[in-house]
Amino acid sequence: MIRLNNIKKRDAFLERVMAKSGQNLRDCLQCGKCSGTCPVTSQTVGGPRGLIAKILGGMREQVLKDTTWWHCVSCGSCANRCPVEINIYPVATVLCEMATRSGLRPSEPEIHLFEELFLKSVRKHGRANELSVVLQFNLRTLKPFKDAVAGACLLLKGAIRPEAFLAGAASNPAVARIFERVQQVGQENKA
Amino acid sequence: MMKIGYYPGCSLEGTARAYDLSARQVCERLGVELTDIPGWTCCGSSPALKLDGLLSTALGAHNLVQTRTHELDSIVAPCPFCFRRLKSALDETGKDRGLKTRVESAIAAQVDERVTIYNLLGFLRHTVGLEAIAKSVVKPLTGLRVLPYYGCYLVKPAQITNFDDPENPVTMDDILATLGAEMLDWDFKTECCGAGLSVCQTETVERLCRRLADEARFRRADIVAVACQLCQANLDMRQGPADRWGRPGAGVPVLYFTQLMGLAFGFSARDMRLGYHLVDAGSVLETKGLPT
Repeated sequence: MIRLNNIKKRDAFLERVMAKSGQNLRDCLQCGKCSGTCPVTSQTVGGPRGLIAKILGGMREQVLKDTTWWHCVSCGSCANRCPVEINIYPVATVLCEMATRSGLRPSEPEIHLFEELFLKSVRKHGRANELSVVLQFNLRTLKPFKDAVAGACLLLKGAIRPEAFLAGAASNPAVARIFERVQQVGQENKA
Repeated sequence: MMKIGYYPGCSLEGTARAYDLSARQVCERLGVELTDIPGWTCCGSSPALKLDGLLSTALGAHNLVQTRTHELDSIVAPCPFCFRRLKSALDETGKDRGLKTRVESAIAAQVDERVTIYNLLGFLRHTVGLEAIAKSVVKPLTGLRVLPYYGCYLVKPAQITNFDDPENPVTMDDILATLGAEMLDWDFKTECCGAGLSVCQTETVERLCRRLADEARFRRADIVAVACQLCQANLDMRQGPADRWGRPGAGVPVLYFTQLMGLAFGFSARDMRLGYHLVDAGSVLETKGLPT
């Protein structure tokens, strides 16, 4: 029945995802090679094949709440083995932008938190301060001692420098301005 | 002396200094002058790529502009993700004029496409060449059983990286074989380690890395060689509870290919920062008569 009802609405969503990601999802054969090779597909994460099926079916809400694209690490394995060369990570970007604009709560809040903290660090310093991002993430998720033994080992070995925690990277106003202008340009483009 | 722009990337300043310091010393020995791109900034990495496509391309393009502003025409990036993002920024703005305009207003500069982007592995193998590498070897890695692990971002997707074979790459094999190492073959050359999920989805990364480490043990590898700091960190730290780091001789050591090059070139283990990793490589290198 999905095929018969709301065809226009379904196609509008599909067309938008295809146009913005540059991926011809209509070519998908549903062969499942992508989900078979995907490193993050598991018993709880559905995988690219199912995600594409939902997009083709115009199931906008389910797609934007899907967890697969949150877990995507952009490894490119799906694109590499897909017989029609569909690449999922540009689709993940588009879906993430759509979900954000729709004001949906991230269906994988921890992945979202990590990615946001990372970008905050880049915006502030111009470069990502990995140690501070990890520390903030562990504190915010109430796991302050996660990986603490490994961290202490690396610190003792001299692999990571304590001053990197304290000083942070030098701030880079040029990068902060790029973030601001990207927001402006993005809004103009939307309007 | 060969001159080239060097884009270290954030990790090489942070958790992957062993990669940065070994790469710099090896390049110097090979007569390559690395010029740090002045004012380089983060490429946005996987978080920008997920959360904001325009931001991701803009951050990449900003670094291309920095490169051209300082009259450099090529960049070598040791980090495979930086390599792929810079290359993508070049491709995406080249293909899509609308995007190029938006990117240019975001970075307030013109994107100049006359930049060649290399990854360090490919640059050393093809531009510097095996002959020059062979000439610098003073301490061959004879008898060292090495499994080459390429990971994803160097080779996949092939349409973007345009580098080596995405299923069975051989670039690292070529270099390490030239150093005298015994190269082992396996099916997991480009299997994923879980990359950026290490902090926020640790179980996924443990599942993937355990599988890789089990296979490495099954192949009786002395060392797993990598060209990516995410592969190194994940595999070193999350290879499984059975053989945890901390105990000498436990676990599979994971070294950068540049560290192995350095050892073969006569640098000390200290120069190559072998001590910066969790799984100790000392005992296995000692049995092969290599510096520990």
